[in-house]
Amino acid sequence: MLRYLLVLAACLACLGLTACGDDDDGGGGGDAKALESSEARDASGDVGWCIGKDTSGAFTTAIEEFNKENPKLNAQLLELPESADLQREQQVQRLRAESSECDVLGMDVIWTAEYAAAGWLYDLTSVVDEQEGAFIPSTVETVEFENSKWALPFNTNAGFVYYRTNEVQDAPKTWEELYDKAKETKGLVYQGERYEGLTVNFIELLSSAGGKVLSDDGETVEIDSPQTREVLEFMRSGIQSGAVPRAVTTYEEESSRRAFEAGNATFMRNWPYAYALAKESGIADSFEITTFPGFAGGEGAGALGGYNLGISAYSDNPGGALAFAEFLVTPEVQEEMVVKATLPATVTEVYDDPQVKEALPFAEELRKAIEQAEPRPVSPVYPEISQAIYDNVFAVLNGRSSPDEAASAMSSQIEEALARF
Amino acid sequence: MEATASEPSGRGRRSVFREERRLGAGMLTPALAVIALVAAYPILYALWLSLHQYSVITPGLSRFVGFDNYSEALGSSEFWGAMTTTLIFTVSSVALELVIGLGMALVMHQAFRGRALLRAVVLVPWAILTVVTAITWRTIFEPDLGFVNTMLETLSLPGSNVIWLGETGYALGVMILADVWKTAPFMALLILAGLQGIPDELHDAAKVDGANTWQRFRNVTLPLLIPAITVALIFRTLDALRIFDLPYVLTKGANGTETLSLIAQEELVTNRNTGLGSALSVLTFMTVMGVSFLYIRFIGGNIRALTED
Repeated sequence: MLRYLLVLAACLACLGLTACGDDDDGGGGGDAKALESSEARDASGDVGWCIGKDTSGAFTTAIEEFNKENPKLNAQLLELPESADLQREQQVQRLRAESSECDVLGMDVIWTAEYAAAGWLYDLTSVVDEQEGAFIPSTVETVEFENSKWALPFNTNAGFVYYRTNEVQDAPKTWEELYDKAKETKGLVYQGERYEGLTVNFIELLSSAGGKVLSDDGETVEIDSPQTREVLEFMRSGIQSGAVPRAVTTYEEESSRRAFEAGNATFMRNWPYAYALAKESGIADSFEITTFPGFAGGEGAGALGGYNLGISAYSDNPGGALAFAEFLVTPEVQEEMVVKATLPATVTEVYDDPQVKEALPFAEELRKAIEQAEPRPVSPVYPEISQAIYDNVFAVLNGRSSPDEAASAMSSQIEEALARF
Repeated sequence: MEATASEPSGRGRRSVFREERRLGAGMLTPALAVIALVAAYPILYALWLSLHQYSVITPGLSRFVGFDNYSEALGSSEFWGAMTTTLIFTVSSVALELVIGLGMALVMHQAFRGRALLRAVVLVPWAILTVVTAITWRTIFEPDLGFVNTMLETLSLPGSNVIWLGETGYALGVMILADVWKTAPFMALLILAGLQGIPDELHDAAKVDGANTWQRFRNVTLPLLIPAITVALIFRTLDALRIFDLPYVLTKGANGTETLSLIAQEELVTNRNTGLGSALSVLTFMTVMGVSFLYIRFIGGNIRALTED
């Protein structure tokens, strides 16, 4: 008997996952409370800021400055893990438990709709509207959900095409030209592994082709379109013709960067972070970056990344939280974030600052890339939408599925996700 | 205990026996309560969760759906794909670990200089975090720049263009290799403990009887090792059936490496489908339970036979 019990106990570990996936009561969407900027005045008390790891020290500096300027307020940093998935897990656990620990939430742009729908955020529409002119318009779109604005855009991000100047003369003007040149040279690398990164890479091409994942109101699925089929066919033929090495199906950001820096690729799609690193590598003097081209006859487009600042509905100090969030989007702090932490600013005027231009020689291209980028589908079921996309794009890249099959599979899987209650 | 039960006994004797039983039960209660709390509660809770559907949009909303989550899970090709992958992974990795671990244990059991150092060194792979192991192997098998392909190319051997983690069969192979590398030492350690429990006299007696090395291994060492091997096998099989971190880091579940735990985590954490995710966890749990009972039924019987001999 004891033996059976021991085995039973040993088996239990596999249920550990479930025990963490707590159910809960309370919360609920519906009528969110709104916050006005007047409530930030005269606020006092503690403010907890929950955001990913402060690898550069810029977050801590900002907090010190804020506390010096606002003696009645005491902001504190609650550092979350470096990985975005784990950050979300940590925040969601606290929000489900209605914890007041996090007053200001540093949220990846793709979680904003999910949090808003769950009723975890204060409605910041009037706050954002007051200073809307200050932000790059595309970044404001990432905080919108169901006609309200739920956060202040804190930092942003957009992809670039990196290319080797010793192998190609000029930046390609269209995607077709880029792939043609890639075929003649050492090829293009991007993030083709089965994960969120592939969704971003696909949406960038889809936006350039004029296609959409969801309708503007987020209610209907529009991905089963000729544009989707064209883009999938384009990606598939890229691999078949050798313009893109088959290895990209195992690449995420870092592996593609290593391949590019080792001289194994002529072109690379990557985020701005790779710029500073490549400048310290062996190819420092022989690469250049450019914003995404369009498909023949069209404009280029990207997919926006970055973080937004939301105020938790369970905050004990929403006024203080707002004061702190507003401080973080002042041009001074935004400039510091660019210079110290290479976190691209959401505030337009920062890009004209000489210090920023010095720290980021490609500041002008960056602003252009951000302006031309579009938010990823804004939906509370974004994780499932993304999964439907990367699963099916991946199947096409591996030749396991035709563009036609993949487009309709994506569409039906996303429809299923949207129908979840 | 058997002797007491079979004895035709008087009244007084029986009441003493009953009292002892009561005392025994009383002493077991705290332990059973702890087991109920840490074991039974999560199981029942998981079962409860798996019978409901939880709202993804509005936290807190849920509805009873009976066995819908189970029929969805059992009807999906994803689940059966993950089941097949998990079983292939478990059988091949545990079999390889057993053979290699047994070999390592036999070597480490010999008396030679530096034995203590070797035993410590052999354990290093096992001491490394699985995630670190996975990242290391991922880097080793990276196309173009990885150690394996670079080496194959330098030696002009075939296969230098293979994208190991990007192809269905190979990806699972790399996963098995990484697991064997990491846990064969653990197997070796458990078997070594068993080896040390075998008295030297038995070997000496067998030698006197004229048994050669192979005969001594086959007829003395191996039978006496069965209990240690069974324990090691149960540990490793249960671990292998629940494998999560290796495929998560190596391939994120792509190219035929999606395991049961991986799909359960995906539904529970990423997609927040608490009901379906719990159903997948319960199914994983039942698979693991089933396999462990088979072990006890067939190999565990050997333990009893041995101890009764």
